[in-house]
Amino acid sequence: MRMADVTMASPLMIAGLYPRLCAAVVLLAHVSVTSAIQADEIDELIAVIAKAGPQGSGSVAARQSSRRLTKQGIEILPRLLRAMDTPNIVAANWYRSAYESIVSREAAKAEPEFPVAFLQKYARDSKRQGRPRRMVLSLLDKLTPTYRDSILSTLLDDPEFCTDAVDLVLRQGYQALAQGDVEKAKTNFQAAFKYARDVGQLTGAVDRLKAIGVNVNIIERMGFVTRWYLLGPFDAPGRSGFDESFPPEKSVDISASFSGKDGAKIQWKLSQTEDRLGQVDLMQAIAPVKEAVGYAYAELNCPQDQNVQLRCGADDNLSVWLNGEKILARRQWLNGTRLDRFTAPALLKKGKNHLLVKICQGPQHKNPAVPNNWSLQLRFCDETGYAADFESALPKAAR
Amino acid sequence: MKTVCNFIVLTSAILCAAAHAENWAGWRGPNRNAVSPEKSIPTTWSENEGVCWRSRLPGTGISSPVIWGDRVFLTSSDGPKQDNLHIICLSRRDGRELWHQRLWGTSPTRYHATKSSMASPTPVTDGKHVFAFFGTGDLFCFDVDGHLIWHRSLASEYGRFENRFAATSSPLLCRDMVIVQCDHYGDSYAVAVDQNTGADRWRIERPDAWLSWSSPQIVPVGDTGKHELLLCGSLKIDGIDPQTGSKLWTVGGMQQECIPTPVFGHGLIYAVSGPGGKSLAIRAGGRGDVSDTHVVWENSRGVPFVPSAILVGDLYYLVDDNGIATCLDAHDGQRVWQKRLPGRYTVSPIGTHQHIYFFNEDGETIVIRANHTKFEQVSRNRINEAVFASPAISQGNLFIRTTKELLCIGPD
Repeated sequence: MRMADVTMASPLMIAGLYPRLCAAVVLLAHVSVTSAIQADEIDELIAVIAKAGPQGSGSVAARQSSRRLTKQGIEILPRLLRAMDTPNIVAANWYRSAYESIVSREAAKAEPEFPVAFLQKYARDSKRQGRPRRMVLSLLDKLTPTYRDSILSTLLDDPEFCTDAVDLVLRQGYQALAQGDVEKAKTNFQAAFKYARDVGQLTGAVDRLKAIGVNVNIIERMGFVTRWYLLGPFDAPGRSGFDESFPPEKSVDISASFSGKDGAKIQWKLSQTEDRLGQVDLMQAIAPVKEAVGYAYAELNCPQDQNVQLRCGADDNLSVWLNGEKILARRQWLNGTRLDRFTAPALLKKGKNHLLVKICQGPQHKNPAVPNNWSLQLRFCDETGYAADFESALPKAAR
Repeated sequence: MKTVCNFIVLTSAILCAAAHAENWAGWRGPNRNAVSPEKSIPTTWSENEGVCWRSRLPGTGISSPVIWGDRVFLTSSDGPKQDNLHIICLSRRDGRELWHQRLWGTSPTRYHATKSSMASPTPVTDGKHVFAFFGTGDLFCFDVDGHLIWHRSLASEYGRFENRFAATSSPLLCRDMVIVQCDHYGDSYAVAVDQNTGADRWRIERPDAWLSWSSPQIVPVGDTGKHELLLCGSLKIDGIDPQTGSKLWTVGGMQQECIPTPVFGHGLIYAVSGPGGKSLAIRAGGRGDVSDTHVVWENSRGVPFVPSAILVGDLYYLVDDNGIATCLDAHDGQRVWQKRLPGRYTVSPIGTHQHIYFFNEDGETIVIRANHTKFEQVSRNRINEAVFASPAISQGNLFIRTTKELLCIGPD
């Protein structure tokens, strides 16, 4: 036991939040001395588990180590939790297996001795992995039931608890509205809009703000690409379009013209969608056709290199090239365009980025009542869904 | 020689399974055909009558309960992203929780608001170990006392899962392997994992496969002593060598997205996918594209999207999602009867050689007499909770998982 774990419990006791910890700290201090000999061994067990990985490798050793850790007392919890703060989910689960046993055993005691101060600090530490933090906060819900609400409003930009925090301020906004306090409601809904990653929360905040006369831009907030050069339709009988390569896949020349479906001359044309969530209806923007292929091309300016997520959907399917590299292709037909259906990692470079999307349109569904949709929706964001930093380098389209 | 040895091992496994026929070891029970050899299974119950015990369950899940001996195994998931996973063991006698493991999933996906979660695949057990697969792309092995043996994060190793209703395919035990079918928007594959070590025995890419939810099935090939693995999805059903993963044959005619698991009997594979698709009866043992040579019959009546079909004796039963129940002659595919049942259906029917149980989403069960050429309803039972998980039969009891609880129906 490291002394830091003991001293972290002390401020909490002073605050009187968990009086039973008085006894706990005495015990923990004692344990920190008596188990010092074992400390290296605990660290060794933790280190063995850290090696568990792909293909079941390290499982036998991890199993042995986890079982030995399971037999330890609550005093190893801080070290176990620090170890759990790893992107290696296989190792994390081995640690968790031991954690759950230790916590369960401790909770069954008449006077459990959880290191509450450490747990609270751990739960608040946004630099740690989200999953063990949420697990710890769930434990704290039982130990100190008011703690969650006391910290949530400070976690609006927290990668793990953002959704919970935004949910809280949205509820506070609704309450304020119900009480007639529009200014307070506005503050809450604006905070929700600023921090929300969840689309339902975002659109909820937008709707509420609009209702009280505040307009905000959800397109920029979510990182949709809305300004495109569109080209099509190319002829693609049946479902041949996905595998067939058309000229834009070799190079994009905005001024070029091509022979399209039924021999018609087709050219790139500038288009900007006005859809609330950036969906592009190709039936309107290109042509109401079946068995065809269309292309969308955009240029995006970025102030710096960014590792981002591409999130997109299309009806029927799509392939995406960023700066000449194919970064996503999904063959499935009759998809329906759904927000964020597909994701892929992407690198937006500093300066101008070239984005090309191929959208296939298949045959009419055998049920003629099924609409023959052809559409695209695409955005760039961070892993939590917050817009990447870019702006369109294309000219504005004429309305 | 190796083939002979394998045959002996497999035959032993089958005989072993027969000796424990009172168990319901995985998805759709014995031989994954959903038909229990037991006879005295209750046919009447209600919310308050005939319920031996009920046990509250954490989180959500549509995976079936699995029963081996005096233990019931279940999975569920919860949390804002549904990536908090539960593997639970209850006492078969009284529903008491014997152990409960909580673990994290790697890559949660989208899921249906009411009809799925990350705990849609049914676990499977051989009585020594429990293998649990989740929609997060994680495969776990526990011993039956709840100790974690190994964990495979398939989503970390082979790419995150992309799914709109969450993966549902249930793992299959075959010899000393556990086989998982991972058909999704991303790069689809099937993988056979060593039960003892968790390492891959084989893994095959499925470049032509996209999103499907069907579970793998294993069937004998005539009297050859050989078996074939079936993978259904993306407009076809593939016959695979379970030892190597090599593709043996293909039959077209399935829908783009397939959910039902094929069943086997009379030397035939019965595969179905809808809506708007058809039932196919296929002879195993082909090579290459055998769509024109090995399909014995096909019928497009009453084809479901979600529920799997059931074969009892000479009759093949289907219920579609809207409650149209259809009975076909298993030998020629001719319609025997068709009847509208109340409610909507997600649950796959289960049965004995005497009765077939159709569970609707509202918690109603229509019990009909099996193996009769006329529709004959035996009972209509109601519990007051929604049911989306396919129930199990074991040791004289029915185990029904509702959205909140597991109910044990029948004698104490």
